[in-house]
Amino acid sequence: MQLSLKGIIPVPLREKVNAYQSGLWKTNLTINQGEYLFVQAPSGTGKTTLIHILYGLRKDYEGQVNWADTNFTGSDTETVAGLRTNGISVIFQDMRLFPELTALENIEIKRRLTNTVTTEQAQEWLDRLGLRDKKNSMAATLSYGEQQRVAIVRALLQPFEWLLMDEPFSHLDHANTAKAIALISEVVQERNAGMILADLDENNFFPYTKTLML
Amino acid sequence: MSNDLQKNMLKKLLLRTSHKSRLWAALAALFIGTTLLLLSVMIWWNFSELLYGKSQNDTLGSTFMIIGKKVTEQNMGVANATVFSQNEIDSLKLAPQVQDVGLISSNHFPIYATLGGRLAFATDMVLEAVPDKFLDKMPAEWAWEPGSRNLPIIVSSQFLDIYNYVFAPSQGLPQLSQASVKNIALTMKVGSGENTEVFIARVVGFSDRIGSVLAPQSFIDYGNKKFSKPGDKQSTSQIMLKAKDPSDVQFGKYLDKHDYTTNSQNMRWSKIRAIVEVVTSATGILALLLMGIGTLVFILFIELTIARAQHSLTLLLQIGYGPRYLSRFMIGRFLPMVLGTVIAAMIVTILGQAAASVLVQKQSLILPLVPGWPVWAALAVSTGILVMLVSRSISGAIKKQ
Repeated sequence: MQLSLKGIIPVPLREKVNAYQSGLWKTNLTINQGEYLFVQAPSGTGKTTLIHILYGLRKDYEGQVNWADTNFTGSDTETVAGLRTNGISVIFQDMRLFPELTALENIEIKRRLTNTVTTEQAQEWLDRLGLRDKKNSMAATLSYGEQQRVAIVRALLQPFEWLLMDEPFSHLDHANTAKAIALISEVVQERNAGMILADLDENNFFPYTKTLML
Repeated sequence: MSNDLQKNMLKKLLLRTSHKSRLWAALAALFIGTTLLLLSVMIWWNFSELLYGKSQNDTLGSTFMIIGKKVTEQNMGVANATVFSQNEIDSLKLAPQVQDVGLISSNHFPIYATLGGRLAFATDMVLEAVPDKFLDKMPAEWAWEPGSRNLPIIVSSQFLDIYNYVFAPSQGLPQLSQASVKNIALTMKVGSGENTEVFIARVVGFSDRIGSVLAPQSFIDYGNKKFSKPGDKQSTSQIMLKAKDPSDVQFGKYLDKHDYTTNSQNMRWSKIRAIVEVVTSATGILALLLMGIGTLVFILFIELTIARAQHSLTLLLQIGYGPRYLSRFMIGRFLPMVLGTVIAAMIVTILGQAAASVLVQKQSLILPLVPGWPVWAALAVSTGILVMLVSRSISGAIKKQ
């Protein structure tokens, strides 16, 4: 599934974008499935906005986002929901777990949507990221780092052609970051998917095929 | 993990509410409203059935009535003053509410009936005949052909009542059931002088509609032709009408205008029916009001529940749950409550109908054990509207997220 962006300008950033002629905003861009795109930008320049626009959470922008032949900009909620279930997955910067559910329930509520992986597989991924003893803890009681690892596993449970990541390792130490990168790389390669990672600083978490500045 | 677990998780996320009392109040209002609506339709339909249903025997009222011309000071003793002319009969056929007109003919020849045994009596008799379609009961034996000595007759139910409750107790005679009366054979000597014939008459049925003794039309026609005085002109002084709604004002005015008298009982029941209709309509309106309030509170409760779960709902949509899936889940949770309420109301109505059927049976009236089609129609329409309103409110509230 190819991603094409046509002159995207978030409405709240319109003045700033017009003034500084940013690297990604306003341009036309096509990214093929399987490519790894790194979007580097300092705080406040629209990394999260970009991820949210690509995931269909925001509509307050000019231009057009196309996932394959689907004009995401004008799609109805069911089409967007279909893409979110089977085409695009996301790791939110703010994790967005259900605080009233346990870590395992947060995983299961997503996994049950598609049954792409088994419960055992999902639990094994949680184990790999060091959450063996936290599976039955309420999400609200987990640390940010633990929540971030649950959010990473949750994003990998569904079938996807694109994985969007918004500062996915911001709360993880080096060891856990390495484990998470290994798991993500494995699943993304297995699915032959592409990825877009937005982060503050230059990094070599993944072998990026494109790097863009905002 | 099973699907139940997923549903339990969704339930935990979406159906948190601390206002159970509102839910119960809404369901109670819905239940009372639906029950009242169904009961009012049931009562209205039952009363219609009692008055005009095909299964009734006219005990409670009828659209059939016998009319005649009023006997007044002015027309007393005037020949043929109470006889209907052909023009008047034709005019009656066109009168408001009149659906059918049947001429009542009577014997213009002497009939002398005798009975032996303990109930021995002898009396002159009068027989009448009406077209068969005006009979409230059509016994299987109801036929007579010239040459037959056996004559079937239908007697007014009131005659037997008067005998059983007035005459028999005062004379020390045994009371008689309808079945035992049917076993009695009356000897009827018809005609006079040399021109006589003897028939054995048996009661084959009882009428609630006609207050005299009926013989088949063929017998009256035969007798009037064979035994009446030469030159005796047959005339009609009583007419049977089938009226669509005897309580109709225009119909009453027509009868008054032409100085016709009728069985006022029928008119009285029709007026009672009108009162029942007003009462059931008022109850129906109240029921609709209650249902409306119940539905409104129920929908508000749903919207409040969805609003309280807004955060979870948004997150679910963000992780890939479609609005349609979530709507179906919510509808699946709330709709059984509505349907349970409607089913409970229907059970009350079915029990009410069964009770009404048993109660009126004691009065020799017939009502079906199960509610009639208008009740089921009201149930179907009200359920359909409720389901549509609840489903639309849930889908609408989720789409707003």
